[in-house]
Amino acid sequence: MTDTIKSEPFVLNIGPQHPSTHGVFRIKATVDGEKVIDAEMVMGYLHRSMEKLAEERTYVQNIPFTDRTDYLSSMSNNLGYCLAVEKLAGIDVPDRGNAIRVIMAEFQRLASHCMAVGAFTNDTGAWQTPVMWCFREREKILDLFEMTCGARLTCNYMRIGGVAFDLPASFVPAARKLVQTLPGFIDEMESLLVANEIFIVRTRGVGVLTPEMATNASLSGPMLRGSGIAWDLRKADSYCGYDKYDFEIPIGYRGDSYDRFLVRLEEMRQSVKIIKQALDGLPGGPHSTQVPLALRPPKGEAYARVEGPRGELGYYVVSDEGPSPHRFHIRPPSFINLSALKEMTVGGSVADAIVVLGSIDIVVGEIDR
Amino acid sequence: MAVTREWSGHDVAAAVEAAVPGAVAKADAVACFLKPEHLVEAMQALRTGPETDFVHLTNLCGVDYWDHFEVVYHIQSFVRNQICTVKVECWDRETPVVPSVVPVWHGAWMQECEAYDLFGIRFEGHPNLHRILLWDGFPGWPLRKDFLSMPGGLQPGLNEFAGTARREAPPVRPVE
Repeated sequence: MTDTIKSEPFVLNIGPQHPSTHGVFRIKATVDGEKVIDAEMVMGYLHRSMEKLAEERTYVQNIPFTDRTDYLSSMSNNLGYCLAVEKLAGIDVPDRGNAIRVIMAEFQRLASHCMAVGAFTNDTGAWQTPVMWCFREREKILDLFEMTCGARLTCNYMRIGGVAFDLPASFVPAARKLVQTLPGFIDEMESLLVANEIFIVRTRGVGVLTPEMATNASLSGPMLRGSGIAWDLRKADSYCGYDKYDFEIPIGYRGDSYDRFLVRLEEMRQSVKIIKQALDGLPGGPHSTQVPLALRPPKGEAYARVEGPRGELGYYVVSDEGPSPHRFHIRPPSFINLSALKEMTVGGSVADAIVVLGSIDIVVGEIDR
Repeated sequence: MAVTREWSGHDVAAAVEAAVPGAVAKADAVACFLKPEHLVEAMQALRTGPETDFVHLTNLCGVDYWDHFEVVYHIQSFVRNQICTVKVECWDRETPVVPSVVPVWHGAWMQECEAYDLFGIRFEGHPNLHRILLWDGFPGWPLRKDFLSMPGGLQPGLNEFAGTARREAPPVRPVE
């Protein structure tokens, strides 16, 4: 019976306007029946040419641009850019500035992973309830950001040499209160999803990446750790004094979508752990060093990277001693994490392609810049 | 405290010279400049050499220095916790061509497309080099320095740019 039914490959357009593509991102999937036999990515719908714009503006003026690349983790983007300029100009950051940066970066990771986990469960079919739970917790973190810098998404809080202003007096008690409640939320999410049979069937063995593939395709962050490579820049290249904090690098061992989900959940716990330590050991002193507004770093180049929520977030800045960078390049983790999308989706079903895309956790503002 | 070891260009040059003699064009404190004709071979040696072990291509981007292009590769090793910078220069501004490193690292695929899209650098041997962010037929290569300045330079209409509001070369040319 089956060999008498003929099917012809046809092109199925997923996106660009579709909730499962997490933004304006398009996959041209060639399907044979339900099976994906080819996948081509189409992107650039949100391209704003930030790298060109940055060449016209001063080093300080470029910080708000970094908010708008990965708008779900603006603090991490600020941090990466500021580290690159500090490396280029040889600026040291005071201890309090570093501690505040760590607190903010980890809260940002929590907020971003809340979004990643929630949207991923949405893609697997747990329609709206988990994502709303995640949003509820994320809102509390964004409230802390609003308390500190007045903005919820595009924070523009980090400055070259430290942070824009010191923490308000009410921040530390509010943050302590929040980190007390967050582990309970993570446990609750875990108890609902990790052993959920439907969730496991949808994600286990979907989009498997071997460690060799993950390395060769330049993946980073939870994608790499989900495949079993314990590489975390906070441990490997301890910027901002991350070596002072005690935390673990969670890794998966199957490299599938389920493992990437588990890695993100466990990273949230580790972030809570780091924030607790940072709040306890928050040093006094200045929050920032004085840096001239019209900064002219010496001729040269610097590549600095941080472990963003999506992976290695690098900034490559070239100076020609001018007031604005000669070249400003962002190494966007979600753009490069898409390198392996075709390998992960081909051979699976169309529904699996959506799950794989959700497990990559893309932000289109960062892909297109 | 673990800190990633950043190899100086001279260290990389020594490692490359030992594996592929004659592949290094020059080296400075930051980066090792490879000759384009030996690029793929030398990168393969850096990736597989036991001392170098640069298995992960982190970052690939182009830079325009007015009179020439550079393609910058940041490659790193997980096991040895080290990173290095490798560059290739391209002096032909009209038709810049650099060999593709996709045979060495699959992760170069999209980043080379991006460098082609924004700088017009052709990566020879790339399996599917196309404009990845901009549309086919976009006039010019936007991240080149002689592309028009943005403020006030862009006119309505998608297919043409009015006038010749191009940037001028800097007063001091880079010393070679």
